[in-house]
Amino acid sequence: MKRFILAFVAAYVFMFFWGWFLNGVLLKDVYAETPNLWRSQSEMMSLFHWIIIGQALLIFAFVAIYASGFAGGGVMAGIRLGFLLEIAAIGMRLAIYALQPFPEKLIIYGSISGLIEMIIVGAIVGAIYKPAAGRTA
Amino acid sequence: MDWKKFFVAFVAAFGFIFLFGFLWYGKLMHGAHQEVPTLWRTEADFGNHFSTLVFGHMVMAFFLTLVCARFVPGGGPGACATLAILVALIYAGADMITFAVQPLTTKILCGWIVGDLIQFAIAGAIIGGIYKAAPANITFVKERSP
Repeated sequence: MKRFILAFVAAYVFMFFWGWFLNGVLLKDVYAETPNLWRSQSEMMSLFHWIIIGQALLIFAFVAIYASGFAGGGVMAGIRLGFLLEIAAIGMRLAIYALQPFPEKLIIYGSISGLIEMIIVGAIVGAIYKPAAGRTA
Repeated sequence: MDWKKFFVAFVAAFGFIFLFGFLWYGKLMHGAHQEVPTLWRTEADFGNHFSTLVFGHMVMAFFLTLVCARFVPGGGPGACATLAILVALIYAGADMITFAVQPLTTKILCGWIVGDLIQFAIAGAIIGGIYKAAPANITFVKERSP
């Protein structure tokens, strides 16, 4: 349980800062091309807790999947899980792209950065979380 | 991996996910989506991107099947549905983040989260019901004696 919490916190901190750097700094100009698709800055700040809860839920589910099935595999197992889940998420992103008029480059950049993000999240979780003794041989 | 069963499970999962998406998001939530019309493509524009919608669903179904096959090689609707619900929670988290940055209504957010959970739970159960690797392909984790 202690390692579960440690893995969760470490992965969450990474995701929070990665999300801020990517969306708030690197892709800022790309988002600015479609202002009608986004909330205003002040509105986003008033709903910021949803970002925190959403990221926490996402990381919790990731660590839970890893802990219940891929535990013991170490960093590579975490990376593999992150890769598989992000490719599935790219499928979801493509489906949303068919419905919402996002710029193509936002989907491409978002997918590449999502892949990097989930691979690093997987590596962090895999490096920290170890299954309890007695559950595996 | 039993690729024949994997393929059948993938096709069944894709069929269900696509049909459920059409009914839940396209029909049942149509009114809710129309409350924020500027967020969506026009009918004609959507028609031009329909192949992307189909491809996106195929990718989702394929990798959900792959995760279930790797994670629950013995199959079983219950175990695969449990895993798929955890995967759905990842999508639910992403929905919440989207809600914070896009002008969606709370009705849409709730509809998306509930839809994700139902869709993935049933898709996982379908995959688990169909995909069962041959016993020779299953590696059991040995219990450590006390």
